[in-house]
Amino acid sequence: MTTDRMLKFVGTAKRMPTKRPADERAGDFGEIYDEFDAAAAGEQAARCSQCGVPFCQVHCPLHNNIPDWLMLTAEGRLEEAYEVASATNNFPEICGRICPQDRLCEGNCVIEKGFESVTIGSVEKYITETAFANGWVKPVVPPRERPETVGVIGGGPAGLAAAEQLRKRGYQVHVYDRYDRMGGLMIYGIPNFKLEKDVVERRSALLADGGVVYHPNTEIGVTVTLEELRARHDAVLIATGVYKARDIMCPGVGLDGIYPALDYLTASNRKGLGDAVPAFDDGTLDAAGKRVVVIGGGDTAMDCVRTAVRQGAVSVTCLYRRDRANMPGSQREVANAEDEGVDFQWLSAPEAFIGDGRVAGVRCHRVRLGVPDATGRQTPQPVEDSSYVVDCDMAITALGFDPEDLPVMFDAKGLEVSRWGTLRIDFRTMMTSLDGVFAAGDIVRGASLVVWAVRDGRDVADRIHDHLAAKAAGRARDAA
Amino acid sequence: MIHALQRAVEGDSYHLYKRYAEAVYAQPPVNLRDLMRFKSKNGAVPLDEVESITDIRRRLVAPGISLGALSPEAHETLSIAMNRIGAKSDSGEGGEDPSRFRPRPNGDNASSAIKQVASGRFGVTAEYLNNCREIEIKIAQGAKPGEGGQLPGIKVNGLIARLRHSTPGVTLISPPPHHDIYSIEDLAQLIYDLKQINPEARVCVKLVASTGIGTIAAGVAKAKADTILISGHGGGTGASPQTSIKYAGIPWEMGLSEVHQVLTLNRLRHSVTLRTDGGIKTGRDVVIAAMLGAEEFGLGTASLVAIGCIMVRQCHSNTCPVGVCTQDEVLRAKFEGTPERVVNLFSFVAEEVREILAELGARSLEEIVGRTDLLAQVSRGDPSLDDLDLNPILVRADSGGYPVFNTVEGRNEVPETLDAQIIKDAKPVFELGEKMQFTYNISNTQRAIGTKLSSKLVRKYGMSGLQPGHITVRLRGSAGQSLGAFAVQGLKIEVFGDANDYVGKGLSGGTITVRPMTAASFASNENTIIGNTVLYGATAGKLFAAGQAGERFAVRNCGAEAVVEGCGSNACEYMTGGTVVILGAVGDNFGAGMTGGMAFVYDADGTFAHRVNPEAVIHQRVETEYWEDVLRRLVTEHVRETQSRYAERMLMDWQREMPKFWQIVPKEMIARLPQPLTLGAREQRA
Repeated sequence: MTTDRMLKFVGTAKRMPTKRPADERAGDFGEIYDEFDAAAAGEQAARCSQCGVPFCQVHCPLHNNIPDWLMLTAEGRLEEAYEVASATNNFPEICGRICPQDRLCEGNCVIEKGFESVTIGSVEKYITETAFANGWVKPVVPPRERPETVGVIGGGPAGLAAAEQLRKRGYQVHVYDRYDRMGGLMIYGIPNFKLEKDVVERRSALLADGGVVYHPNTEIGVTVTLEELRARHDAVLIATGVYKARDIMCPGVGLDGIYPALDYLTASNRKGLGDAVPAFDDGTLDAAGKRVVVIGGGDTAMDCVRTAVRQGAVSVTCLYRRDRANMPGSQREVANAEDEGVDFQWLSAPEAFIGDGRVAGVRCHRVRLGVPDATGRQTPQPVEDSSYVVDCDMAITALGFDPEDLPVMFDAKGLEVSRWGTLRIDFRTMMTSLDGVFAAGDIVRGASLVVWAVRDGRDVADRIHDHLAAKAAGRARDAA
Repeated sequence: MIHALQRAVEGDSYHLYKRYAEAVYAQPPVNLRDLMRFKSKNGAVPLDEVESITDIRRRLVAPGISLGALSPEAHETLSIAMNRIGAKSDSGEGGEDPSRFRPRPNGDNASSAIKQVASGRFGVTAEYLNNCREIEIKIAQGAKPGEGGQLPGIKVNGLIARLRHSTPGVTLISPPPHHDIYSIEDLAQLIYDLKQINPEARVCVKLVASTGIGTIAAGVAKAKADTILISGHGGGTGASPQTSIKYAGIPWEMGLSEVHQVLTLNRLRHSVTLRTDGGIKTGRDVVIAAMLGAEEFGLGTASLVAIGCIMVRQCHSNTCPVGVCTQDEVLRAKFEGTPERVVNLFSFVAEEVREILAELGARSLEEIVGRTDLLAQVSRGDPSLDDLDLNPILVRADSGGYPVFNTVEGRNEVPETLDAQIIKDAKPVFELGEKMQFTYNISNTQRAIGTKLSSKLVRKYGMSGLQPGHITVRLRGSAGQSLGAFAVQGLKIEVFGDANDYVGKGLSGGTITVRPMTAASFASNENTIIGNTVLYGATAGKLFAAGQAGERFAVRNCGAEAVVEGCGSNACEYMTGGTVVILGAVGDNFGAGMTGGMAFVYDADGTFAHRVNPEAVIHQRVETEYWEDVLRRLVTEHVRETQSRYAERMLMDWQREMPKFWQIVPKEMIARLPQPLTLGAREQRA
C-alpha cells in the first residue's frame, strides 16, 4: 500500500506550521499557528512511517485512521483524506487545533523516539480547512427520515457529535442549551488563540443546515423540565458537561478580585464574539493593567494565563503545586505560555489570599514531591517555613471542575449519580437510571478532553439507535 | 502489549512479564492453542523439583533472521545473549562477519550457534560453516513458503554486500528452491555435504507446517537430519510481500503434531529433535508445543521486541525508527537493545514454563514431550470455534516402546568418504605445513571428495592461509556427487574422467579441474563431463572442465571463475559475482535474475539471442580490449589446466573466434563495472 512518497522521516525534519512570534501574538486573540500550505502538509504527512501497529491510532480516543489520511495527504488525494478523517471524527478541524496531540497521537508516534513525531494535528487541520474551502464539507442528508425524535441536553462537543450521528441515521434531533450559542466550552471556554470562534459556529451552522433543531437559552428545570423532554422525545441525552468550579479552601477566598476560571474565560470569549459584557466592560473581569495570579496547572489554567497576557496584564504568574513533569496539561501549551511571558512558580501552593476587602496578594508555600501514590503520581507535601507572598490585583482559580447537582437542578430524583456527582450509566447501554435517558461526555467521565466528548457522543448515538430500533421492532411485533 | 513486554525485560521484572503474559492470554482466540487448556493428571510438585531455568533456556532458540534484515547491532545482541545462556541463535541467511567468530575481549561470543544455509547460499563459506554447533537448511519459511528471502537494494550496504559476496545497492533475491535439492535424495546429499564440511555440527532442516508435512519429515529424518524445525504461519517476516502473506503456512500446532505422529509411528522419532517456531511468545506456548511433540522452541518476534522492535512493519524500507531492522547509520544509532534484555525474556519464559510444569506435576520439559493427554479442548463460546475437532492434533501415536524424544547423543553420523584416507595421508600438511600431491583411483560412490579435508584446512589455516595448489589431489575415474564441495584455497582437485552433480558446490577458494581420460576418443566439447548444478553458491575459487556441464550451471555463483565447453538450461541464474566462460552452446533461460558477475558465451551458430533471458542482463559483443583480455586470460588458463584441444584451437585462431563471443552483463552492474563496457561514444544497448 505504501508508496515511495512515505517514510520520509529519516531525511525530513519535523516542522510545525509557522507560529507567530510571541510578542506579536500576545497582542491579539488570533490563532497562533498559521496553516500549512499544500507542499508543507504533503511533505510533513510523508514523514509517516506507515507502521504496522499505529500507536497514534491506538492512543486516539476516536481511533482516527491517521496513517491512511497521512498517506492520502502526501499523495495529494485530499478529498479522500477528508473522507477518511471525517469518517471517525465529527469535528476534525477542532481536534486538529485543540487536541493535546503531544499526549495522544503524536506523543505515541513510533518515530517520536529520536525523530520527533509526525505533525498529525496540523495536517488534520489542513485537510479539513481545505475541505471547507473546496466545499467538500456538506450538511448531513439522511438516507431516510425516521419519525422518532431525540432531545439532546447540552450543545457541547458530546451533544453535537451525538446530534450529528443521530441525524445521519434520520432521527429528528433537538439540542437544548442554556447558553445563547451552541458549542459549549468550545465556544465559551476555549480562547480564540487556540480555537477561533467562527470555526465552531461554522460547524454548528452546518448541523442546523442538516436538520438539527437548536433550542438555545433553554435551561432544564427552569425553562422546561426533564419530564417534559422525556414526554416530548423518544429518547433524551444528557450531555451537559461539568461546570461547577472546584473551590479552594483557604483564608481570604471571600475577597474581591478572586474569580473562577470559567467566569473569566467566558467573559473574554463573549467579548471576542462582540457581546456586551458589563462585568468585563467595568473592568472587573478584565486583566488589563493588573498583576494576575492563576492557580492551577491544567489546560484551563493555561488558557487563563494566556488570555490575561493578551488582555494586557502587567504580570501573569501561574502557581502549581507539582513540577513541570507532573503537569496534567499539554506541555506544548506550557511552552507557548512561557514564550508569551508567563512566570511559572512550580511546586508552590497557595496558603491564603491576603488583602483588605480586595485581594492584594497570595501567600504560598513551597512544596516537595513525596512518594508516588496508587495512581503513580507523587503526592505534594508542604515544605515548612517556606511561605512567601506573590502580589496581585486579580486571582483566578483553575483547579478543575465538578459536576453540578443534576438531580436537583433537573428535579429528577430517580437520576442516580456516582460519589463524584457524575451520572451513573450502564456502560453497555449508556443509559442512566431513567428509561430512555442517556448520558455522555464530561457529565459521565468527569472533566476531560473535547476528543473524549466526541467519542462518547458518537458511542451514545449508536446506543440510542440500538435502543430506539429495539423499541420500534417491539412495536412492530405487537402490531403483528 | 509490545510496551508491556519491553518494560518487563528492561526492568528485569518477572512480575511485569506475567502481566504481559496474562494480557496475551486475555486476547480473543486467534491460535489453535487458544482453544486448549492443560489437564493435570498428577498432583502438583514443588517448584524446586522442576528442572532449572538454565536447563529450560537451553531449549530455546532465537530463530533465523538474517544480518541484512537486522542491523549488525541487533543481530549481534541476539547472538551474544543466546550464547550467554547456552542457548542457540540462528544466523539467518546472508553470512556473518568472520570477526564475530572469535570471542570478544570481554568474553561475549557474537557467533551464532546455528548457521543457516538457505536457497540463496549467501555468505555460505567453508569458514562460516565451521563456526557453529548446528547448520540449518532452510527449505521454507512460514511467512512465505515457496519463496526465498528478499533484501531490497537500499539495505545492501558495503558490509552486507561483502558478507554476501554481492554488490552494494543491488537487490538480492534468494531463489524459491534450493537448486541442488529436487528430491529427498538431493536433500540427503546436502546433509551429507554439510556433515562433511563440519564434522561436528548437527544438521537441522527447516520446514513449514503444511498438509502432508509428516511424510516429508519422515523423509528428512531418513536423510540423516538431526533436527527438524516446523515453522508455523504465525511468525515470520514483518515485511513479507502482500502476495506471499496470502499463502503463509498453516499453524505449527497442526504441522508439529502431524510430524510427531508420523515420526513416532515410523519409529523415527527418537532419532531426531523436533523444534518449532512461529508466534511463540509465552511459557504457555512453549509447554503446549512440547506436549504436541517439540523439544526446542524458537521465539523470534518476541526476542526482537525485547531489543526494541515496536512492530512498525517497514522492515523492507530501511527506515526502522528503533534501529533494529535497518542498515542506515543514523537509525542504527537509535538501537537500544542489550543482551541482558534478551536474557531476561528467555529467563521469564523459562520461569513461566517451570511454574506450569510444577502445576502439572512434571519435573522436566522432556517428561511432557508428546503428552497430548495433558491437553484438552475448551469452549470459547463461539460455534465456529467449538465445532473444530482438535482430536487429530491431540491423538497420541503408538510409539512401540521407543522414546518419543531425541535420544541421539551428538549427531546421526554419515559414512566416511575418500577424505578419511586423504586426511590420514596428509598428516605432514597439518603437522609441518608441507606442500603435497596425492593420487587416487575413485568411483562414483565416493561423494563430497575434498570437503572434510577442506574443513580441516580451514580450521587450521583459515580461508586464505595457504597458497592455491598447496595440496593437489589427482583422481582417476568417475567422481561421486558434490566433488570438491566447499573446497578452500590451498586445495586443488584434478579429475581425469568425469564428475557427477554438484561439482564445486559452495566452492570457497579451491580449484577444480576436470578433463576426460587421456585415452578418450571423443571431442571434449561434445561430451558432458560434469553433472547438474555445478558451482551452486560458490563464493571463490576456480573450475575448469574440458567438456559440457549439465543443467543449472553456476546458479547463484557469487565469486568463482569457471570455464566449461557448453552447458544445459538455466545457466548463471541468480548469479551475483564471478566470471563464467562457456565455450559452446548454452541451454534456455540463460542468465535469469542475474544481478552480478559476468559471463562470456561462445556462440558458433548465432542462436544465443534465443537462449538468453533478457530481463536482468544485456548481451553484446566483446568491445573493449580490457574485457577481451579477461576472456583470453581465462581461456588460456583453461587450456593450461585441462589441455583441451578444442579450446586450444580457439586460441590459435583467436582473431576469427573472438567476435563470436557474447559478453553478458547484468543491467544493474553496467554503471558499477571497474572498466567501461563499450567503446567511446557508442550507446549502450540496454
